[in-house]
Formats: sequence, structure tokens, C-alpha cells
Amino acid sequence: MASFPLTEPVLLILLSLAKQPRHGYSILKDIEQMSDGRVVLSTGTLYGALRRLLDENWIERLEEKNSTRGRQAYRLTSRGRKNLQFEVSRLKHLTRLATLRAVTKEV
Amino acid sequence: MLTPAVYRFLLRFYPAAYQDCFSKEMAALFQEVQIEAAKRGLAAQIRFQVRETTGLLLGALQEHLREFSMRRFAMRTEFRFPKSTAVLMTIILAGVVLAIDKGKAIQASLPAVNPNIGPIQPAQHTFLPVVALVFLFFYAAGLVGWAILFALRRSGTHRLAELASDQN
Repeated sequence: MASFPLTEPVLLILLSLAKQPRHGYSILKDIEQMSDGRVVLSTGTLYGALRRLLDENWIERLEEKNSTRGRQAYRLTSRGRKNLQFEVSRLKHLTRLATLRAVTKEV
Repeated sequence: MLTPAVYRFLLRFYPAAYQDCFSKEMAALFQEVQIEAAKRGLAAQIRFQVRETTGLLLGALQEHLREFSMRRFAMRTEFRFPKSTAVLMTIILAGVVLAIDKGKAIQASLPAVNPNIGPIQPAQHTFLPVVALVFLFFYAAGLVGWAILFALRRSGTHRLAELASDQN
């Protein structure tokens, strides 16, 4: 079950699918690029997360007539997008708070 | 060494439902990533091998744990009442009734041991008829319940829940 706060791989998968539907390989590459090579998911980790997100109806499989080489594309559902936005605003708030606290000088 | 063939073999460690859904995709993706890792040199290839093996085995373990917990706590959506149960219950009831009748017949046929006591009077309320009555009541209630659930199942009502969850 995907629950808040989201794990980094799950957040990156959702961010990867936020712009456009992608298949497994494209998600892996996009995550690697987004994290500057810091996060490299294994196929087992990727599909474990995809399965949980499918079960929670955060993403859906895109019905493709010509799905070649066993490729299957995924896209965000409205529920997934809403949850992603919620997580992003939660992180924004946290970052703002951290910035404020970090720059406050001790009196 | 994790080759595509070994990878496909290791995919069998996943639960059957998961395999049906993802194994083809995972195997295809593994091949693509493996080709790319091979181009990046030996160090990248070793990292890839370790990452994929641990990811695959841990993933299989997680999926089994998840399936186990779901199976343990999930409610059964369908009603299963084997027909043999109804037959067995009828046989048991018939056996109990016959045993009571036989007991009464034996009791009636026995001569009075002590003539001073006189003939044994039939008991107004005995334990066995009460048990038989209780049994009969629950048997009838069970039959009515079974008939209702059988009719519901025939009407396809249980499929409505699946339909509703599909639409969400």
C-alpha cells in the first residue's frame, strides 16, 4: 500500500509518469536522469512499486494495441495525480520550514 | 551470473498472479537493461547483477508476504456450501431419529425387573428429544440460510462488489 510520506522510488515513479505515460524502461531511465544517477531501480523494485500503485489505483495500464516486446505503458490516474500534488505540497512546506529554521541564527 | 534465462527462472519465485501480470514485461525489461549495462564496462555490469538479483529475490519475498497477509485478512466474497454437507446433515438427522426410536422400542420391550415397582412409565420429557428438536431447528435454519445464499449467488449479486471496485 502506498502511504504518506512516499518513499523516494515511489515519488520518482509518480513524477516520471506525471508528464506522460511511460513503459518500464522509460521510467527507469527517467528516474536515473532525474536523480543524476543516484537512484537506479532494479526491475524487481520497479515492478513491485508499480504493482502497489496499480492496486491503489494511483496509476493505470495504458491499453496499447501494438505493445511490442512485452512493453506496457503506464499513466497516472486522477487519484494518483491528486496524491502526487499532495505529496509535493507537503515537501514544499517541509522545505520552507527547513530553510527558515536552518537560516535562523542562535541568539 | 544472472542471464535472461536465469532471470526468467527466478521469476517463478513470485506468486502466480504476479507472474501472470508482470513476468513477460519484467523479462523484456531485464534484457534491455542488461544490454545497456554490458556496454558500460565490468564495474557497471557487476553492480547491475547484484542490484537485479537482490531486487528480484527481495521483491519475490515481499510479494509473498503481501499475498499471505491479504489472504489472511481478506473476507471471502463468494459463498461456498458443498452439496455433500446437506446430504451428510440429513443422514446424521435420520441416524439420530432412528437411534431415539430404537431406544424407545428397547425400553418398551424390557420386562419389569422388580414387579413391586410396576411397569416403567414413559418419560414426558427426555434429553434426547430436546437435542433432536434443537438439531432440527438449526438444520431448518441452516437450510433456509443456504437457500437464500444460493438464490443470491444464482442472481449474481456477489459480482456487484467486483463491478464497483473495477469502476473505482
